[in-house]
Amino acid sequence: MRELTSGALLDALRGAHWPARRMSRGAFQGGHRSRRVGASPEFMEYRPYQQGDDPSRIDWKLFGRTERVAVRLSHDDSSLRTMVLLDASGSMAFPAGTRAKWKTAAAIALGLAAVAHGDNDPVGIGIASTPPRVIPPRSRRGVVGDVLRALLETTPAGSSPLTPLLLSARTSRRVALVSDFLGDAEPLLTLAREKVAGGTEVFAVHLVDPMELEPGEAARVVTDPENPALRRPLGAAELEAYRGRFAEWRHALARDWRGAGAFYHEVSTADAPDRIVRRVTGFTEPAPRGA
Amino acid sequence: MSFLLPGFLLAAGAIAAGAVLLHFIVTREPDQLELPTARFAPERTIQARARRFEPRDLLLLLVRVALVLAVGAALAGPVIAPPRREVVRIVMLDRSRAVASPGEAADSARALLRDGDPLILFDSSATLLERNISDSLAGLAGTPVAGRISTALITALRTASRIRDRADSIELVLVSPLAGEEVDAATDSIRDRWPGGIRLVAVASRVAPPAFPVILESDPGDPLGMTLPLPARSGSPGTVRVLRRLASSADSSWANQPGRVLVVWPAHFEVPPGWAAGTPDTAGAVVAGDVVVVAPFVRQVIAGGIASGPSGARNDLVLARWVDGEPAAIETPVGAGCIRTVTINVPTAGDLVLDPRFGRLVSVLTQPCGGAPDWSPLEPDGRARLAGPERGLRTAAATIPPAERMATPWSRWLMVAALLLVGLEAAARRRAAA
Repeated sequence: MRELTSGALLDALRGAHWPARRMSRGAFQGGHRSRRVGASPEFMEYRPYQQGDDPSRIDWKLFGRTERVAVRLSHDDSSLRTMVLLDASGSMAFPAGTRAKWKTAAAIALGLAAVAHGDNDPVGIGIASTPPRVIPPRSRRGVVGDVLRALLETTPAGSSPLTPLLLSARTSRRVALVSDFLGDAEPLLTLAREKVAGGTEVFAVHLVDPMELEPGEAARVVTDPENPALRRPLGAAELEAYRGRFAEWRHALARDWRGAGAFYHEVSTADAPDRIVRRVTGFTEPAPRGA
Repeated sequence: MSFLLPGFLLAAGAIAAGAVLLHFIVTREPDQLELPTARFAPERTIQARARRFEPRDLLLLLVRVALVLAVGAALAGPVIAPPRREVVRIVMLDRSRAVASPGEAADSARALLRDGDPLILFDSSATLLERNISDSLAGLAGTPVAGRISTALITALRTASRIRDRADSIELVLVSPLAGEEVDAATDSIRDRWPGGIRLVAVASRVAPPAFPVILESDPGDPLGMTLPLPARSGSPGTVRVLRRLASSADSSWANQPGRVLVVWPAHFEVPPGWAAGTPDTAGAVVAGDVVVVAPFVRQVIAGGIASGPSGARNDLVLARWVDGEPAAIETPVGAGCIRTVTINVPTAGDLVLDPRFGRLVSVLTQPCGGAPDWSPLEPDGRARLAGPERGLRTAAATIPPAERMATPWSRWLMVAALLLVGLEAAARRRAAA
């Protein structure tokens, strides 16, 4: 995990932002455009004064010029409570020698947290380990360090589900899921769909190792690390079927998550984590709902 | 090289052959890999595949075969015998007190011994020599102990059984004056266990010394005086003093000199040191060697229940016993001499002291320390029984019963090698699995 502690990742992400994809309904001052009409200097429009409006917001200069009583509307910046949920099940400890999936996932989680924190958003992390570990969203200075310590202290093992962590992130308006989605994918998708419907931005970062894509033609018995009873032969004869079934599953996964309104990204452990973070936080338009 | 239990070696060979066979035909499952996406592999039966012979497995195979053979050889008990000879001569050399000149006896033995022949030095005990025999013979000195041919024969029989694989035939040679005192009741039966003849090499025997003068120190009317020879000059060397009282320290120091015998034989009821006063009773007889004297002796002193003697010393020798087995007279070595304590009361009434049997009893009790030597030559019949058949001095080794099987040093070393091979096998297995 030297990649995390060296600081290279955070240096590479300096200046990066993670803008909100939708109008925020946040109540706290922040860097995202809020749906609330506030008192920021950025003018939006005038609206005729209505009963109940604050008289102090009447634009008296406009009234002097046009004798129209109107209030000045402007955009209000708000913060976006962000929760990064990280899969720490046994399947993330692959390959056994390098644990590349876990290292990449941890780097992505740290990078997302750092970028969100840089935007003055309260950020926290939930690690689906055994037992689960949760740092609630905070905007204080040392929260990224807390996230780093939590990542360093975690060893991927077992088969802890992500769904309970997503369920507990009620107040977060932005949730990033970093996982291989080989665990509780179905209930997680159902819950994510509800979250999206409730206005939460859901990011699904699907991590895939190149060796999972191409296990090689050497005849072996492959075992699911989270389910040792699942043992199947995998050699040259089975490789084509394996590739096809895996690709089909990934395609369906991407379609379902995007269909649920989430921002889905399939990333590889061969990619640099900072590039993955920039890709996830970039301004790519989410797929239309129902697509 | 031969093996005590060759069956273990054969079994080890069979196991090693089986290991070699299994090394080529054993099957195993393909390599295992933990793959999170294993669920996407098609469901098929996991088939075992034959293990291919790979050069890297040769080391493992060799180590395993060597391990099995080492254990088998260790259990089989390898014996590396020296070069076989036509005949091995076992020489029994007498160094007892009966030998007039130990040096001459050693020369006789030296003339008989060849390189590799074992030598048995014996008196009342026997010592086997197989190395540095020349040095032992050069410094050979006689001992003041009576010899026992039986002891030498037993050692020779054991040695012959042990070295039977070294030679085609074995010859026993006895270099001894063949004095009468060296043959006991067990000699003939032990001799019969040797199937062949024994070469007898007679050496000069010592001449028996004249009878020691006996000095009786008692009252003039002591009836014991009637059984003793006329007193010699008091204080002469080699004297036997008979005290009819308890000994003083001066008496004990007198007995410290070579050849002196102090017989403490109280005339009245007195308890010698180391003895205890007992309830007076009548013991019907006294036995000393082959002398039996039957008389109404009154026993007033008992030995105190110590089997080895009243004083508790290990070297005490019981010379006479009451008819019920209790010691009646003992001999205790003191320096170069000895003190003999006699608790047999001499009746003042009657004519017992005139009985020749009582006289012989007194002779036994006043003999030199360790008993009177019998250095007279063995009777011709006894010599003939000892020598056995004249033809057939060389006994075929095959007719000699082998010695008991026992572990050889090679077994230990082979076991150590097997332990090392166990570690090497583990390392080779890890290397092969890598």
